Amino acid sequence: MSILKETTEVLGHLLEAMPSDSLFAIREEAASFLREKGIPSKRHEDWKYTNIKRLFDNGLASSSSAETLVPRPSSLVPSPAVQLTNSSVSKNFPTLDGVTFSLFSDAGELNRFIGKSGIHGKQELAALNTVLFTDVLIIQVKKNAQLAQSLLIDHSVSATGSELFNSRILIVLEDGAKLNCVHHFHGTAISDSSLVNHVTEAFIGANASLELNFLQEIGTGNLVNTTEVNVERDGRFTTNTVQLSGKLIRNNTNVRITGQNAEAHLNGFYMIDGNDLYDNHTLVDHLVPNCQSNEVYKGLLSGKATGVFNGKVHVHRDAQKTNAYQQNKNILLSDTATMNSKPELEIYADDVKCSHGSTTGQLDEDAVFYLRSRGLSHKGAIALLLTAFASDVLVQVSDEGLRAVLEEKIQSRLSGME
Amino acid sequence: MLRIENLHARVEEKEILKGFNLTVNAGEVHAIMGPNGAGKSTLASVLAGNSNFEVTAGSVSLDGVDLLDMAPEERAREGVFLAFQYPVEIPGVSNTNFLRAALGEVRKHRGLPELDAKAFLAYIKEKKEMVELTADLAGRAVNEGFSGGEKKRNEIFQMAMLDPKLAILDETDSGLDIDALRIVANGVNKLRSKDKAFIVITHYQRLLDYIVPDFVHVLYNGRIVKSGTKELALELEEKGYDWIKAELEETAA
Ligand SMILES: Nc1ncnc2c1ncn2[C@@H]1O[C@H](COP(=O)(O)OP(=O)(O)OP(=O)(O)O)[C@@H](O)[C@H]1O
Ligand SMILES: [Mg+2]
Repeated sequence: MSILKETTEVLGHLLEAMPSDSLFAIREEAASFLREKGIPSKRHEDWKYTNIKRLFDNGLASSSSAETLVPRPSSLVPSPAVQLTNSSVSKNFPTLDGVTFSLFSDAGELNRFIGKSGIHGKQELAALNTVLFTDVLIIQVKKNAQLAQSLLIDHSVSATGSELFNSRILIVLEDGAKLNCVHHFHGTAISDSSLVNHVTEAFIGANASLELNFLQEIGTGNLVNTTEVNVERDGRFTTNTVQLSGKLIRNNTNVRITGQNAEAHLNGFYMIDGNDLYDNHTLVDHLVPNCQSNEVYKGLLSGKATGVFNGKVHVHRDAQKTNAYQQNKNILLSDTATMNSKPELEIYADDVKCSHGSTTGQLDEDAVFYLRSRGLSHKGAIALLLTAFASDVLVQVSDEGLRAVLEEKIQSRLSGME
Repeated sequence: MLRIENLHARVEEKEILKGFNLTVNAGEVHAIMGPNGAGKSTLASVLAGNSNFEVTAGSVSLDGVDLLDMAPEERAREGVFLAFQYPVEIPGVSNTNFLRAALGEVRKHRGLPELDAKAFLAYIKEKKEMVELTADLAGRAVNEGFSGGEKKRNEIFQMAMLDPKLAILDETDSGLDIDALRIVANGVNKLRSKDKAFIVITHYQRLLDYIVPDFVHVLYNGRIVKSGTKELALELEEKGYDWIKAELEETAA
């Protein structure tokens, strides 16, 4: 079958489900991009190791069947919380000073932001989401409103067949606003032929600050999680992704820094075993001078796991005095696990400080022996070393309660690693 | 306390210990000297349970129990402590957390209650003073970025914390300035008692002025070839090892 024909057949069926509403122009733009590009196969450089097309070829069908399901509550309980089940958003919103929660509707005042992060013009899965989403959870934080508590986005996933869920969140932080979120993807016995295709668009106003933590525990499920962020002057974006279970998880994190003196911090910690594959693709676009970005991705791979890290930092010609730093470190616990790590710097400005590094190695056996020779058990020694390994990432989580929960989850995941 | 009989051990196909015998009684300090590559650190590694070294023959018992059968952590909990010649740097793991975990295991094994946070801090303070650990090494990551001398002092500090019954010091004096040497030796002397024993591996008689040994042994080519009292160390310092090698060749001939 020719690529074109294949693409048309798989896509044609999916695109039929496009809702007709006031977002027609944006949806149609995304659809035509998709018709041109198709669902990416492994021939596509950005999807070389991550076979997402297989799921589509096996007949993914768009679904929003959540209404009838009873969501399983997240094991994280920092109130307040917003509930998502698959792609649908529960309308029980918490009441928080300075924060407005809403759902997409044709008359929505924030509709102008939807799709405006430039997302569907570059990425096929995000474009697909743009064509197909029905619900959008919209979180707006008013000027100078600073939320003290973390907001839990409790995203429960449940699928029994080849369902495709296109969930979507829009976050708009007005100038000087501050929001700290933890987005928990979770679920048990999720069909391994289903896919959650999630998109978050975030607009961070001047001097505003967003911390977006992701906890991904989806067992046998598949997830593509795209986060597209715009940061204005003096703004700050932090994302910390902790990946603990899932059959295939792809995170696309794309940050555009459009105002001076802004910062982006992208961090991730992953623990992969079995035949699972986790993939972190990041892009930091430095468009203006005097900004900084930091990336620390670390992970543990065992069994026949596959890990992918592809981090691109693009420093445009005008972005002088950029400080960009990127690091990816991996520990292989088995010799059948593989890590594909590719940090990329593209620099067109001449007065910048940029560095990147990537290492993949085994657990330091000398260190294990040293700790055991002081009385720690083999397990205890490994746990201590791996906790230290994860700590560079975890210290970035500013909510101490959340950090403690993540540490605990990592510990208990560790004892379950093969 | 420790009985080593006809110990043979190898690493990567290379036989290093070739019939090593030594008995150490409670209360004794034994010094082991010998040229580079003789097998001193190999002996220490075997006693601590490093699995890179394979024991091919012989036996080691600690208070009548087979030591070779125990995992490294079991040996530590039974009271064996090795101060490493080259302590490992462990980035990100704080000395304090590590020692709290280690001490917890050791105390549990000895039937002692766990120390609460306050008691632990007091205990750490006492031991720091005992080994005159002034710099805040205790709070840093294990050996990370420590100078050679600081690493050795950290080993002695850990020894004081864990209060072993048999301590093996592998060249703990190498790389120490004279003050540090005195401090380390004082630490050992404070721990010395009738129910503890020490094996002190060194190249320098200097240390033995501070830690006065009951016996001095020369390890050469995987075996003890000469044993004596502290005077032997003086003789070695003066004459080197050639005369011992010559003696050996004579007996062989
Ligand atoms: N891991 C290893 N692989 C290969 N050879 C080893 C290994 N460890 C030790 N050896 C060899 O075993 C021999 C004995 O080494 P050992 O470290 O026990 O000597 P030593 O008496 O402690 O010497 P030094 O006084 O220099 O510390 C040396 O020839 C050394 O090269
Ligand atoms: Mg040695």
